[in-house]
Amino acid sequence: MATERPDRFDQIDWDEIAGSTGRELSVNLKLMLLTGTPVVLLGLYDHFVVGAREATFERLGEDLGLASQFEAIGLTFDPSSLDILFVFTLFLFLWFVLLPLYQNPRMTRYYWKEFKRNRPAVVSLLWLGLIFIGGVIGPFFISMPEQNLIAAYQPPVFGSVDQVHVSQCMGSIENGRCHGTWEYPLGTNRGGEDVFAAVVHGMTVTMQIAFITTTIVAAIGITFGTVSAYAGGWADEIMMRFTDIILSFPTLLFFLLILYIYGAGLGMFILVFAAFGWGGTARYVRSKALSVSEEEFVKATRISGAGTYRIVRRHIVPNTASSVITQLTLIIPGFLLAEAQLAYLGIGDTAVPTWGQLISSGRNAIDFAPWIVLVPGTVLFFTILAFNFLGDALLDALNPKAESEAGGE
Amino acid sequence: MGLTRYVIARAGWAAFVSFTIVTITFLLLAFAPNPSVSEAATQAALQGGDPAQAVEQERQLRGLDQPLHVRYLDFLEGVYTLDWGWSQNRQQPVTAALWEGIYYTAQYSIPWTVLTLLIGPIVGVYSAANMYSWRDHLATGFAFFGWAIPNFFFGIVLLVIFGVYLQWFPIQYSTSVPVFSLANVHQLFLPVFVLVTGSIGSVMRVSRNESAEFQNAEFMKTAKAKGVSVYRAYAYHVMRPTMVPLSTTIVSQLLVIFLGSSLLVEIVFGIPGLGRITFDALINQDTNLVLGSTLLFTFIAVVGNLIEDLVFTVLDPRISYDDR
Amino acid sequence: MTESIPTDSAQAEDSTEPLLTVEGLRTKFATDAGSLVAVDGVDFTVEKGETVCIVGESGSGKTVATESITGLIDQPPGMIEGKIRFNGHSLTSMTESELRSVRGNEITHIFQNPQEAMNHCYTVGWQIVEAIKIHDEDVTDAEAKARAVDMLDRVGIDNASSRFTDYPHEFSGGQKQRIMIAMALVTDPDLLIADEPTTALDVTVQGQILQLLNDLQDEFEMGILLVTHDLGVVAQIADRIVVMYAGKVMERGSVFDIFDTPSHPYTQQLLDCLPGRGSAVGGIPGKLPDPTNHPDGCRFAPRCAHAVDACKTGSQPEEITIEGDHSVSCVYYTAGYDRSVVEPPSSESTGKKTEVEYSDD
Repeated sequence: MATERPDRFDQIDWDEIAGSTGRELSVNLKLMLLTGTPVVLLGLYDHFVVGAREATFERLGEDLGLASQFEAIGLTFDPSSLDILFVFTLFLFLWFVLLPLYQNPRMTRYYWKEFKRNRPAVVSLLWLGLIFIGGVIGPFFISMPEQNLIAAYQPPVFGSVDQVHVSQCMGSIENGRCHGTWEYPLGTNRGGEDVFAAVVHGMTVTMQIAFITTTIVAAIGITFGTVSAYAGGWADEIMMRFTDIILSFPTLLFFLLILYIYGAGLGMFILVFAAFGWGGTARYVRSKALSVSEEEFVKATRISGAGTYRIVRRHIVPNTASSVITQLTLIIPGFLLAEAQLAYLGIGDTAVPTWGQLISSGRNAIDFAPWIVLVPGTVLFFTILAFNFLGDALLDALNPKAESEAGGE
Repeated sequence: MGLTRYVIARAGWAAFVSFTIVTITFLLLAFAPNPSVSEAATQAALQGGDPAQAVEQERQLRGLDQPLHVRYLDFLEGVYTLDWGWSQNRQQPVTAALWEGIYYTAQYSIPWTVLTLLIGPIVGVYSAANMYSWRDHLATGFAFFGWAIPNFFFGIVLLVIFGVYLQWFPIQYSTSVPVFSLANVHQLFLPVFVLVTGSIGSVMRVSRNESAEFQNAEFMKTAKAKGVSVYRAYAYHVMRPTMVPLSTTIVSQLLVIFLGSSLLVEIVFGIPGLGRITFDALINQDTNLVLGSTLLFTFIAVVGNLIEDLVFTVLDPRISYDDR
Repeated sequence: MTESIPTDSAQAEDSTEPLLTVEGLRTKFATDAGSLVAVDGVDFTVEKGETVCIVGESGSGKTVATESITGLIDQPPGMIEGKIRFNGHSLTSMTESELRSVRGNEITHIFQNPQEAMNHCYTVGWQIVEAIKIHDEDVTDAEAKARAVDMLDRVGIDNASSRFTDYPHEFSGGQKQRIMIAMALVTDPDLLIADEPTTALDVTVQGQILQLLNDLQDEFEMGILLVTHDLGVVAQIADRIVVMYAGKVMERGSVFDIFDTPSHPYTQQLLDCLPGRGSAVGGIPGKLPDPTNHPDGCRFAPRCAHAVDACKTGSQPEEITIEGDHSVSCVYYTAGYDRSVVEPPSSESTGKKTEVEYSDD
């Protein structure tokens, strides 16, 4: 078994981050502080100062006395607190996932070499990159889908629908069938909303859910799991009992209850699902960490006098990293699915256009206007699929043990 | 030490968890505006009465004027004596409504669970044994498909294709069909198929990945050197250690789908089970029934977690009962 | 032990076949980098009750050679060619299920790493009983258990009957190897293949395990084929030695031949690595050739101090018999070369080698 492999991704990665032992901040942390702080400040400002009906940046411009300059460069957005949080997690992703890849080119090359052998995973990465870019910059170019009853049930371009279902056909009518136009490339739904625009805006929501929930879940889950596994004794007992309670919450139903009693939007959805979603990760990390700490080399390290913190960081965290990544890839689709399900039931956040909502809006027209269900459903399917493929490929690339080895000594 | 003590301790814990959840649920309700109270006020205002008086009356009627701890004890007593109140919407006790739901939910849940347990691990280990062959790719592809496709979306698509267009399966779920009849199998085929497809994916994937580790293990060489056949080696030496991590996946996966997707699947296929009842209660503001079904699902989750924990501990001999 | 099967009489009894005969064994693996020939035409025999050691550096193909005997190598990617005869039967022409009835029954294995060699999910008792029941379907549970407990007792596990239901992780490394030996001997095999059985163990435990093997060999009258890179182990247990390098046999002979008059430069260097003997500290310079692309001529030539042009062309030199069983594959022993160039300096080394203990009785 080739256990000694200097190029192991998780090994190097974690050692690199572990290089900053409190006294000296790593460059990643510095950059995070540099970029994250304004975002946090903006978030606080948005929450405490800006009124509900004011656009954040307009108000900021006024407060800074730069209203005209702001307007000149088009800084008039009104990001929601969710948008701001999203930007914050994007910075986290940039400085703690992407930058380390750049910092360790040798490891990245090795890792990429392993990764690209998996064709579906590369395609998945491209797809998710597309959704990511569409979600981040799409809304700046494509406006929110608007209701326009006249344009209801327009078929997609190259598609057609029986004339009787369309009040006014935007394209040509041939043999009693209304044909689609480029104005609505993926057609429209019952309310005349452009399916394409709705799909693009759905990407934003999807990416927000993926990034924000994963960040919260990973942070709580990994900390909880490793600390619990290593602490042992009563601390482990209490922490795992707490995890038990968290796990026993049927999150979707609990969310339904909150929704029923108080009403809830997408922000609440993300919070509730992240706050109750880390139990599995924590447990998984703990059980993996337990079996790792049973292994000879960790015992050996412990006997050689290494401190608890060091063992956790150097041995347990790296050795559980790959398992956590699988766990997280299993978790993101779960959140996306839950959101889509709620939206399908018609009890999701109606203020944000999501794929689930779009599916829901087409369910009564599926026999003559299947695109309304099929387009967002397929996009959702491929996105969940891509997360799964990606997770699997990461697992393979991170875990050299999985490679089969031909005989020999 | 000892298995019995461990089981008792674990079961006691599960009871405590359910108690905690019941308490949290109570607090959630206690600090929320009660819809029936505000409704009474609206009613009174509409009929020219005094809203404040109506509110007072309604509060008295519902015992909301009592101190919090009295209400809490009442609530606990109600929950644990299965006195879950009256369903306004269905005009029957909540427990009776839930029983009806369980009756229909069990009809598709039991075959679905059994099929997942049977097919998932076997296909997963088979896939690992033939890693990177076309069979493995096929199985992996199926696993990913099943995992990725949203159950409700898959359900809709299948229903449109096989129900509406091809007319191979009934579109309308009929409650008048006997449980053990071909007609019932026929009408439950699609929902069970959708759910098995959904739950089997991760079971296959985890068993494939975990067993991949074990099939190259030293002890497999020992087994082969002992003269153990390939079939037996996989059935015993790979399957058994794989079951340790897999048990967790299976139970939690079944739970996740049961608590989430089954609700949607019931709505898509029109099965009047627990999910449908919960949804209707939500829409119709039937507070007691919403609460009842939430509690029921919670208890199921607690018991599921208990099983998951016990199975995991029993399966891995390296974990002593004192450790957990 | 050596006395019971003197080298001469083995040759005299030409009519009776050895317990195990391996001829022209060639094992290759299909890999991404091409065909990897791990064992490239190797012959050896094991007599009943005899201990034959295959020695060589890690990667010289010795493990593959022994695992090829009962087809433990996965095929594919492996491919085994050559003739292997055991107890009068040809193992190479057997079907997989016929081979299975030999494996773990007449030929058993123990491996290097006892920590990983047992399934952590089953009790040691279950695993020993499995070995019994695979080959004896009629045996009752009670009988099988009695045999397993008895065997555990014989390999030196205290309180065998109560420890029968313990799991592998409840035993120490040395105990696990004892259990592995019990598992291998419980079917009363004719040949035990032990692959580096002591490498992963403590030095003190190593001696005990070797002693145990020695004792049990007398009791069970089985042949032992032992693979090791540790010449100390060889000196303790071997009757005959086969020196392998890069998939080829460099030299073979009785334990006395090899230790007293190591004739191949490779053997000499191996022995020089033994503590208290010779000068080489830190092993033999250079490394093993790429197994997917072996050099022409003698495999050892690139690392050999005495290599001449003839060593680097053609194929591995024929084995030349020096005397009796002792033969060597080196051009210096062929006609036209001066073998004294590579011959061992006889007298001094015999004086030094006493530091390696012989325990052959």
